[in-house]
Amino acid sequence: MQQHAVDAVVRGLKRAGISVVCYLPDSLFKELYPALDADPEIRTIQVTNEGEGAAIAGGVFLSGKRAALVMENSGLRASVEHLARMGLGAGIPVFMLMSYRGDLGENNWWAIPHGITMEPVLDALRTPYRVVRHADEIEQAIVDASTWSHTAYYHSAVALSGEIVR
Amino acid sequence: MTTTPDARPTTAFEKTPHATISRYSAMEALGRRLDDALVILSLGGAVDEWYNAAPHMREASLFQQQLGCVTGEALGLAVGLPHRRIVSLDTDGGLLFNLGILATVGNEQPANLFIVVWDNEQYQSIGGPATHTASGRVDLAAIARGCGVEHAYTVDTLEAFDEHCAAGLAADVPYLVVVKTDGILQPGIKRKHSDGREDKYIFVRHVEETEGIVIMGPSEHN
Repeated sequence: MQQHAVDAVVRGLKRAGISVVCYLPDSLFKELYPALDADPEIRTIQVTNEGEGAAIAGGVFLSGKRAALVMENSGLRASVEHLARMGLGAGIPVFMLMSYRGDLGENNWWAIPHGITMEPVLDALRTPYRVVRHADEIEQAIVDASTWSHTAYYHSAVALSGEIVR
Repeated sequence: MTTTPDARPTTAFEKTPHATISRYSAMEALGRRLDDALVILSLGGAVDEWYNAAPHMREASLFQQQLGCVTGEALGLAVGLPHRRIVSLDTDGGLLFNLGILATVGNEQPANLFIVVWDNEQYQSIGGPATHTASGRVDLAAIARGCGVEHAYTVDTLEAFDEHCAAGLAADVPYLVVVKTDGILQPGIKRKHSDGREDKYIFVRHVEETEGIVIMGPSEHN
């Protein structure tokens, strides 16, 4: 990620009132994680899998604070069970910020399933999302998705692709 | 087929002999020590038992039916409300579903999180097939200690459990107790008949009232 994109993510999270970020590191966002760790206004929690991160983010919501789950889009598949139970069962929302592995332009064979499954899985979970490919749209997309989640009490997602993560 | 005492049961639903404590009695003991704590609990028979064993904690308890989510949600709550005692009532099946949460708890070291694992060595809500703890080889407390949760213990008497409740609820580090329970559902108790969505609103309104905050507030334009 370019520094201006990292800065836009951090600005967006803060504008959205997010003070806790759960993440499982990935390569496309590798510049983002140290920036989040270093920010004094954001508490980061590194997790062992994204489902666990979803559960923690749900608990943060129940405390009255706002959280984000940051991950590669492959993590969406790992967190489906937790997201379905919390979201469809109880209405406990999780806002997700994902790197979009496997988008057109992908040149790693192992990343192809991530691109093929991401949008159908989000649709199966009835989760609205926005794919952002230009850095100047990042900040507002994060604010919009987080606002929606805290209005609908349901999950939402922003997937970053294109020039942002190349 | 093996004949050693610690072997997995030879039939799927046969009960192993490691567990001795009545879960309901243990819940009553824990409930007597709770006042302003917040509780998140797992699924199965423990839901109805906690609903009856600690009626004064009903609004302060989030009744979930979420295998693998419970201690994660409790950690999130503990991070969000660091001044409040948070109790996770997890189970052997639920914790085994996501052992990674122990590593995260170990690294995060929440000062206000008390984790109880009701270990009846079976998936009780579906009729009792054994979990991995039934073999006698899998030691959840040892796994927790290996993950950095230094205060992690297994108890097989009610007295020992009560002592660990006192210590765990006063600790300033994460504290975990695995309770070997007998798997006998308390007879004659009232079923909780609300669903997870209603339970969430009851819990959230309790947190709002006791914390003086708004979590699920009014719309901008009513």
